[in-house]
Amino acid sequence: MASKEDILKKYRANVREKFDMPDLSDIKATTYPDPLLQFMNMTKSVGGNAIEVEKGRDINELIKELYPDAKEIASNLPEITIATRNPDEVGRARDLNGTDVGIIRGSFGVAENACVWIPQQMKEKAVCFISENLVILLDKKQIVNNMHEAYQRIEFNDYGYGTFISGPSKTADIAQVLVMGAQAARSATVLLIDE
Amino acid sequence: MSTTHSKAAKQFLKNQQYAHWHDATFWAVRTKRDNMAYGLDEWEQLREKASAIKRHTITHLDEYLDQFATNAEKNGVEVHWAKDAKEFNEIVYGILKNHNVKKMVKSKSMLTEECEMNPYLEERGIEVVETDLGERIIQLKGQKPSHIVMPAIHLNHDDVGELFEEKGISNEKGNHDPTFLTYRARLSLRNEFLTADAGMTGANFGIASTGDIVVCTNEGNADMSTSCPKLHIAAIGLEKIIPNYECLAVFQRMLCRAGTGQPTTTYTSHFRKARPTAHHMHIVLVDNGRSEWIANPEHWEALKCIRCGSCMNTCPVYRRSGGYSYSYFIPGPIGINLGMLRDTQAHSGNVSACTLCLSCQTVCPVKVNLGDQIYQWRQQLDDFGTANPQKKLMCRGMSMVYGSSGLYNFGTGLAHWANFIPSPIMNCGLNPWAEGHKMMEFPKKPFHEMIKEVKSE
Amino acid sequence: MKVGLFIPCYVDAVYPEVGMATWKLLKHLGLDVTYPEKQTCCGQPMANAGFEKQAIPLAEKFEEKFKDFDYVVAPSVSCTAFIKMNYSRLLNHECETAKRCMDVVEFLHDVVKVDRRLGTFPHKVSLHNSCHGVRELGLSSPSEEHVNKFNKIKDLLQLVDGIDVVEPERPDECCGFGGMFSVEETAVSAQMGKDKVERHIQTGAEYITGPDCSCLMHMAGVAKKQGLNIQFKHVVEILAAGL
Repeated sequence: MASKEDILKKYRANVREKFDMPDLSDIKATTYPDPLLQFMNMTKSVGGNAIEVEKGRDINELIKELYPDAKEIASNLPEITIATRNPDEVGRARDLNGTDVGIIRGSFGVAENACVWIPQQMKEKAVCFISENLVILLDKKQIVNNMHEAYQRIEFNDYGYGTFISGPSKTADIAQVLVMGAQAARSATVLLIDE
Repeated sequence: MSTTHSKAAKQFLKNQQYAHWHDATFWAVRTKRDNMAYGLDEWEQLREKASAIKRHTITHLDEYLDQFATNAEKNGVEVHWAKDAKEFNEIVYGILKNHNVKKMVKSKSMLTEECEMNPYLEERGIEVVETDLGERIIQLKGQKPSHIVMPAIHLNHDDVGELFEEKGISNEKGNHDPTFLTYRARLSLRNEFLTADAGMTGANFGIASTGDIVVCTNEGNADMSTSCPKLHIAAIGLEKIIPNYECLAVFQRMLCRAGTGQPTTTYTSHFRKARPTAHHMHIVLVDNGRSEWIANPEHWEALKCIRCGSCMNTCPVYRRSGGYSYSYFIPGPIGINLGMLRDTQAHSGNVSACTLCLSCQTVCPVKVNLGDQIYQWRQQLDDFGTANPQKKLMCRGMSMVYGSSGLYNFGTGLAHWANFIPSPIMNCGLNPWAEGHKMMEFPKKPFHEMIKEVKSE
Repeated sequence: MKVGLFIPCYVDAVYPEVGMATWKLLKHLGLDVTYPEKQTCCGQPMANAGFEKQAIPLAEKFEEKFKDFDYVVAPSVSCTAFIKMNYSRLLNHECETAKRCMDVVEFLHDVVKVDRRLGTFPHKVSLHNSCHGVRELGLSSPSEEHVNKFNKIKDLLQLVDGIDVVEPERPDECCGFGGMFSVEETAVSAQMGKDKVERHIQTGAEYITGPDCSCLMHMAGVAKKQGLNIQFKHVVEILAAGL
């Protein structure tokens, strides 16, 4: 590929002074005495909801209570019985449009910014974004302090995609007025499960 | 003694109410950034690390680019290399044509703006739909972005409301409530995501050790653009590649805090390969001058920039002149520098837009020496042939006077006679100082005369 | 300790009283101060405009004139910063004289370490943190940075009898002078000046004070033109008031 070799050769020839990689092991990253509490507070501050679920509570019933008017519920999670659609089984991604509640699983949460790591675990990841309301199931013990810890921990599976989601989609592009619900989920609720 | 920027800025400031709102709006974003910075004890340490990581990476970039491309290809991603804007547009068009793409949705990419990709594709019959709300608004209005993160900031809710009514996006005339308008845009863009044949994203970062690209949005539009259409093309400038995830943590923590004063964007998405029901993923790496800029001894550090926008927000001149006062598509401190790297003839008119207050380089999360670089560009304007002739004459005059104590003492001795020059003459058009200032009173004696009297006491 | 007094061109020509106050104050503190004659300019105006080579003969003259002093003190943060940051590079050798140049606030705070009562000035003053002082000489903590807050100018002013020192909103936003900027970008410069003066006035202060006459000169000119009512004094004039 002509351009690749030309570009790399040119760049290499034009570098004047080189600099070493700094040591990153001495970064004094902020940690929290109660990461779960921080995670819950941050989730609220970014416009999301974080609900601690008592042990033994029926998740499906809880979700029905939270979204009593929901007609179309999309999930491929085995413990979800109320799903009307399955992102593993739809013909096309666009068939998930009109989903009132999408239910997905997060691997761990990040206290500093309410991010939840969500590796793709379904055929059509559109469910994470196309749903009007997003529900994320998260083991409440799986909270790290900050993104340094998070990036040490993230894993990818064969789907080759993962995202951190922090709260609902939002924009302030019109007159700097913050509006929840831009192009993806209009609400995001993290259900913190006591596993 | 004016420049392209100073003339445009003067026009901008004529609408005092608007100018005041513009300044207050961006100062508010600067304040939000401050709150984020003050909230992290490690903020200054992160800046230092981020700067050092970038200095290392961009001076070893050929190695990291090779590593990135190799890993991406191992993941089944097709990697293309564009030496310039023209080649970038041709590559993208080629991919789209091969897949019979009629409509492409895209998330924000200043790189595609740099390459003027949209008009290129549209001329060849491909509809391009911007999906970042701000970008979509200015696309519909036929305008350019006035800020790299908040491109439609110069429009108010009435401007947007009327635009949406005109374009059939809004169905309620006169309702200019931002929440309502955002919802109407959501419905319109939702339809675009569902019917597009391809989705293009930019990339905030490329990870060399894995071949992943990382895209950060608040709206979720990059993910919608890549979850529904069956083709994903990612455009990435060479300098966006970073070594690994340990480094990414540093930048991810700073990008949004610096740019919008939020602890994170809603979505930080990592793309390793296309989803199973889609076609291959394509990545286009773009040079377009970057391999030359690294050779520039005074300006190579501009390549550290992560496009957060915080330098614009803090710049007192940007806040009071707006993005359209700058001739380059990126405004503010980083825009002045990148514009000069791009084309010294076309963009020398921006170099006046700076008091050298150095606030920009004090907020920059990667410590680009923005103000110092603008000072350096000023030293070169004469060589480029773009120095202001009146300014040059004034400096030569000052040089002459300061170079001779005889002349200097003569001049300062006479200074107080200036107090007696009639106002209409003193304040005429030839005296630019008088435009904004009342002339100062010159004392009867300069210091070097007064001190002689004291010493002789 | 031999101190050489550097009086920049515009202080010499427009604000000689600031030079006199500096002289008086340093003498009052018992320092061995000399004012070498035939000074002109540090070269900053031409350099910021893009003609820094024109500062070279001025740098040579400065080095020649001040080379035998332990410190060169100037009542101007912009000139001091320019000399310290650029003279070695312009002269193409390590210029020790430039390194020993200090703004009078830095000098009094860090070298003389003044801690006794200075002048008398029973007024409310609003502190103008000139950019060169904040971000080049470290006179105060920049508002952009997460560092321990400090302000050397304020520390010195607190030694003045009866004074009440306040800071405006946006405490270290630029006043808009910027040297040539003020005559090249006249509209933005005047707007920045007006905005800054109004913020100072909002504190209820009677005076705006700062470590650099160029900022004060710019703001005073804008204030007079706009009919904004507030007075101006250089920090050193206040420190020396009534001495």
